[in-house]
Amino acid sequence: MGLLKDIKHKRAKQRQKMPLRQDVFNQISSLVKRYGIKESFLDILDNIDDYPSGENLKLARVRLKAPMEGALFSLATKDEYALTMSIIAKINNSYLRFAHSPEEILLCKPLYCLNPSLSPEKLGRYHFETLFLHERAKIENNESHGHSTGKNK
Amino acid sequence: MWQLLDSDLELVVESDFIYLPLLFDPEIEKETQVLLQTGKPLENSRQPEPKTIIKHKDRHFVKALSIQSLLDNYPAINSYSYRQLRNDCLRKYQLTRDVDDIFFDGPLRTILFQVMPYFIKKNRGLQRNKLNDEKILDLILEKVSIPARYFKEAKTFQDLGPLREIFKDLEDQQPIFKLPENGLYSGPELRDWLHNAVHAKVLANEHHRIAEALQIREQFSRAKPEHIAIMLYIADTGSIEIDDFGFTRNNSYKGEYFVYKRTRDYVLKDYYARSYLFPDCRVAVSTYTPFRPFVIEKYKHPFLLGHKAGQEICMRNFVPPNELTAQNVIRTIEEGLTAMRYGYDGRKRNGYHTLDKTWVHIPTIDFEDYRI
Repeated sequence: MGLLKDIKHKRAKQRQKMPLRQDVFNQISSLVKRYGIKESFLDILDNIDDYPSGENLKLARVRLKAPMEGALFSLATKDEYALTMSIIAKINNSYLRFAHSPEEILLCKPLYCLNPSLSPEKLGRYHFETLFLHERAKIENNESHGHSTGKNK
Repeated sequence: MWQLLDSDLELVVESDFIYLPLLFDPEIEKETQVLLQTGKPLENSRQPEPKTIIKHKDRHFVKALSIQSLLDNYPAINSYSYRQLRNDCLRKYQLTRDVDDIFFDGPLRTILFQVMPYFIKKNRGLQRNKLNDEKILDLILEKVSIPARYFKEAKTFQDLGPLREIFKDLEDQQPIFKLPENGLYSGPELRDWLHNAVHAKVLANEHHRIAEALQIREQFSRAKPEHIAIMLYIADTGSIEIDDFGFTRNNSYKGEYFVYKRTRDYVLKDYYARSYLFPDCRVAVSTYTPFRPFVIEKYKHPFLLGHKAGQEICMRNFVPPNELTAQNVIRTIEEGLTAMRYGYDGRKRNGYHTLDKTWVHIPTIDFEDYRI
């Protein structure tokens, strides 16, 4: 009886509609079109540090993501396609799918370097800037804590 | 599709197909590479079909629309645009049906050349000449201001050259349009070509009409352009009014008219000899049976049953004619006018209603507002 229920449950689950998840190409292609991103963006992407100083980052406590309705099946012109693929190749990490603005694309790599295991829920909810500042503060806290405990000894 | 043709996109024409710029995603890129591999057979390669994807000046284009099919199905794809293009084309050569028919419109000729001269003031001073058709048209020209565009259209109407050329091409079975050559085109360029091709097709479909039109126009090629302009004006507006006499097209029946004469203001007297001033109205007769006089406007009168538009005038001894002749039209209008202006007898209180209140019947129509 237990086995029968189990099979039925599994089959019902299989039949359930699964939400279509936006893949990285559709997301970045939508951003390229929406913000009119040009080739020069690639140069900015090349020059960004893996560990930026944070001087230019805003000190807002929690910054939420700007809502964005990207196309589920984005089609790009040849130039847009080449640019999209170059961005994807340059960043090459799983956080890129959650970027909602060019600013977040730029912060994608530094954030991944700080913490490559952030949950999709966090990445989908908070702005990468907030996450970056949070992760960096955590590291700094740990360092200072370790340093202070070492000093007490 | 129309947005594409109106945009500034560059499109390629090859083997009578319109190719659109290819849009990419990773899957499409893979498929494109496979399709463009040299020696790779295309789908359905048994037939020499045009390629699905082509490369032109380092840009990819995908096969989208068959030009021939687009042209054949244009009336179904965009019926509004087709109707507009067709009308433009027919108007260009003055080929709209009414224009040519109007020259042989029997009722209209009767009204213009036989009924109208009876009612309008045609002679100055003591001259009494019977007017021929040309002089009547001259008189209309004097009394009606015809807009300038009809004079221009009259010139086009009488210029038989372009129409003869089209007719000759159609008779010689010449191809009516040439498909665009292979190459790169802008959207508006292709749109213009398409419009020209639709024009050519419209003319080909109107072969018989062109033949008829040519025949008619050859007959009228020596007529004065001003006279042609009057006929074009009538074909367009369907009405003319001179000296309180006029006619207007009956929209319910094609080719039929209402011929009318205005009563002008007139006075009727009631039982006590009190005067009632009646406003102007148009007493008309239709060229479509029954040939009974009626009032076009919303109007009230002792001889009209209600207070509404299009009421027949109550006339006891009037026998309507059986056929449409100028004499019958004139007699019917005159009988109607006489009845309206002089038919009511205050002492007899004849008609549906009385001008004064009698208190015998419940009054339905009241004329107190006309009392002077």
